[in-house]
Amino acid sequence: MKMRKPCKGRLSNVVLKNAKFWNGKSFELRNEVRLDACDGAETIEFDCNGALVMPALFGLGLDFMEPLRDDVYTFVDGFDAMRKGGFYGGLYESAANPIDDADKFTAMVNRFKSEEHGENAFDIKFLGAYSKGFGTDSLAEMVELAEAGVAGFGDGSAVIPHSRFLRLAMEYGKMTGKRFFFQPMDKTLRHSGCVHEGAYSDMLGMKGIPRIAETIAAYTVLETARFLQVPVHFKQVTCGETLELVRNARKNGIDVTCDVGLYHLLLDDSCLETLDSAYHILPPIRSAADRDALWQGIADGTINAISMDHTPVLRQDTVVNFEDSVPGALSLEVALPAIWNKLVAKVGEARAIELLSTAPARLACSEPAANNVVVLAPDRPHMVVESDFAGHVCNSPLVGKELPSSILGSFINGVWTEL
Amino acid sequence: MSALEIKHLFGLRGVSKHDIRLILDHAKQFREILERPVKKVPSLRGMTVVNLFFENSTRTRTSFELAEKRLSADTVNFASSNSSVKKGETLVDTLRNIEAMKIDIVVVRHKGTGVPKFLADNSNAIIVNAGDGAHEHPTQALLDMLTIEEKLGTLEGKNVTIIGDIRHSRVARSNLWGMSTMGAHVTLCGPSTLVPRNTDLMNHVTWEPDVKKAVANADAIIALRLQKERMDDALLPSMREYRNTFGITDELLECAKDKVIIMHPGPINRGVELDSDIADGEHSVILDQVTNGVAVRMAVLFLLAGGRNNENA
Repeated sequence: MKMRKPCKGRLSNVVLKNAKFWNGKSFELRNEVRLDACDGAETIEFDCNGALVMPALFGLGLDFMEPLRDDVYTFVDGFDAMRKGGFYGGLYESAANPIDDADKFTAMVNRFKSEEHGENAFDIKFLGAYSKGFGTDSLAEMVELAEAGVAGFGDGSAVIPHSRFLRLAMEYGKMTGKRFFFQPMDKTLRHSGCVHEGAYSDMLGMKGIPRIAETIAAYTVLETARFLQVPVHFKQVTCGETLELVRNARKNGIDVTCDVGLYHLLLDDSCLETLDSAYHILPPIRSAADRDALWQGIADGTINAISMDHTPVLRQDTVVNFEDSVPGALSLEVALPAIWNKLVAKVGEARAIELLSTAPARLACSEPAANNVVVLAPDRPHMVVESDFAGHVCNSPLVGKELPSSILGSFINGVWTEL
Repeated sequence: MSALEIKHLFGLRGVSKHDIRLILDHAKQFREILERPVKKVPSLRGMTVVNLFFENSTRTRTSFELAEKRLSADTVNFASSNSSVKKGETLVDTLRNIEAMKIDIVVVRHKGTGVPKFLADNSNAIIVNAGDGAHEHPTQALLDMLTIEEKLGTLEGKNVTIIGDIRHSRVARSNLWGMSTMGAHVTLCGPSTLVPRNTDLMNHVTWEPDVKKAVANADAIIALRLQKERMDDALLPSMREYRNTFGITDELLECAKDKVIIMHPGPINRGVELDSDIADGEHSVILDQVTNGVAVRMAVLFLLAGGRNNENA
C-alpha cells in the first residue's frame, strides 16, 4: 500500500527504472517501480542501470553532538549523512549529553523535529541514560523515560559502572521492560589504553586495551542479567571471547543481543603501523584473528546487527598525533558501499539486509516503512573523498580509499537524494 | 660519499643496514673531531635547528645542542613548559609557527608515539626523533651501537642483553631494531609486568626471564633506568626486590663473561638497576656512551642535512 501524505517541502515521487528490486527474498529485475511521497508532488525518474534497490538502513550508535557541540556537528548534518548513506532511522545515544530525565528527552525530540520539514523525515529512536549524568551515584528517572518513549537504556560510551550500581540500575530499570545497552569495557583494565593490546601496540610502544577489559565487563553484565532476568545488549563487541560468552549466556536462557562495529569488521590492528589518528576508534580495532572471529559471529548468527557508531570529531582533534587525538569515526555515508559485497559473500543478501536494516531496527523498536529504499551499484567503485561527508568533519579511516560499491541515491520518507 | 636513504630519523625499525653503517662511520669521524682542541666544524653553518622538547630532558637536549653547535648550526631551544602549548596551541600550529621562522631541522621529543612522523607529514622541515613515548629513541640506540663497536670492534655476531623495563622503553625498542639489523643478537630480560606481552612482531630477539641466563653469554649488557612511577602503578612491589632480582651486581656479573661491557642510557638509579661499584667499575662504558652521543647526533644531523660541506668533517 502506498504512503499518501500532504505534499511539503522537498517531497517528491520517484520512478526507479531498470533496477534489481528486493522482494523480501531476493533481488528481481524490474523495468520500473514507482515510489510515491504525496499527492501533487513532482515525479522524478531515475535510471538505476541495473543497480540494487534495497530497504533503507537503520543505524545503531548515532551521535550528532547536539546540543552541547553544535559547533562540531548538528542534526541537519546527521540527517544529510543519513540520506547520503541510505538510512531511514537510527538509535541515537549522546556521549556528551545524557538523556537522564523525561524533560531532556522531550527537549531532544523537539530539537530533532524542529530541524525537519514539519514531519518526521527520519525514524530516530533514543536511548535514555540509566544514571544521572553518566555517573555512578544516582539513578536516572527510568520509569518516566520509558513512558516518554525511550527505546532502551544506556550510558553512551561510558564504561561499565561498578557492580553495585550496575545491579541497582538494572534492578530498577527492570520495571520498564526495556533492554539495557552496554559498551562492555572494564575501566581499570582499560586504564589509559587507546589501542588493542597486541603485537602492534607492543611493537610501537603504545598503551593497549586487553581483550579481558571487554570480557570481564561482559561477564559481569551477563551474570547480573541472569540474576535479575533483564534483557541486555552489547554494543560493538570486538573479540571472539565475548561472542563465546554471549553464546553460552543464550544457552543458559539469558536474553542477550549484540552488535559489531562497521570498522571492526573492515580493519585489523595492523593499521596502527601507519600511526594515523584516523584509526583511533574505541573500542579498539583488534587483531586479524579477532576480526575473523567477528565474521564468524556474523555468519553463525551470534551477532544480531552491524553498528555504525557514527561519531563526528572536529578536524583539529584529529589532526594531531594518534594518542592525543579524539577517538571516533564517521560511518553513515560509507557503510553500505564499504561492506555490502563482503557481507553478501559471507552470509548472502537476505542476512546482509537483516544485519544492516531490519535487525538493528528491531533492537531499537523501529518499524521500517516499505517505501524507504537505497540504490546501490555493487560493482561500481567509489573513491572516498572528504566532501563525501556531511558537515565540517571528515574523520573516517576510509578517506582516500576505494570502496567496491557506490550509492546512487536514496528515497527516505518521500525525499529523493541522488548522489 | 654516500647519502642516507631516509629523509628523517623517526626510529630504527625499517632503517637499512646501509644507513646505520653510514651514520656510525660518520660518527666515528666526528668522534675524532671531538678529541681535537678545536671541536667545531662548519658543516651546518647557515642552518637553523630547533630543539622542540615537549618532555623534560637534560642530557639528550644538551647532547643535541652541543652536536648542533659543533656543526656550527644556529640553535633554538623550545620547551613546552613555557610555551604557547600551555595556552592551548595545537602541535601543528606550534610547528608551523616555528617553521615560518625559516628553520631547517627540528629535533623533537614528545610523550606521544609517532609525533615525529606526524610533524614530518605536516611540515617541510627535516625531523629527528629525540624520543617519542615508548616507541623509539633512535639516537640513543645509535650511540649504544657506536660504543659497542668502539669497545668490541663490531656488532656482527655480538650478544647484547637489555635488562629492565622493556615495555615502557623507547631505548630498548630502538636498540632491538638497530642492533638486529647490524647483526647482533639481542636478548631481552625483565620482570613479567615490564616486558611486552605480545612479541609476535619482535620474534627476532630472544626473551629470557632468568637474568643469570640472560647475561651468561652477553658481550654487552644494557641496564635500563627504572622509573619510580612503576611502583606507584603496581607494576613492581619495591625497588629493593627489583635490585635483588634484576639489578646488575657483582654477584650477577660472576655469571657473565670476563670482558662484558656495562651500558646505561642514564640517568642511573644507583643501587637499583646498577650498583655503584659496577657503574664506576672496569666494565662500565657509560661515560663513553655520553661522549659518543654527541658524535652520533652530529652524524645524524650532518647526513640528514644532505652531507653539505662534507670536506670539512
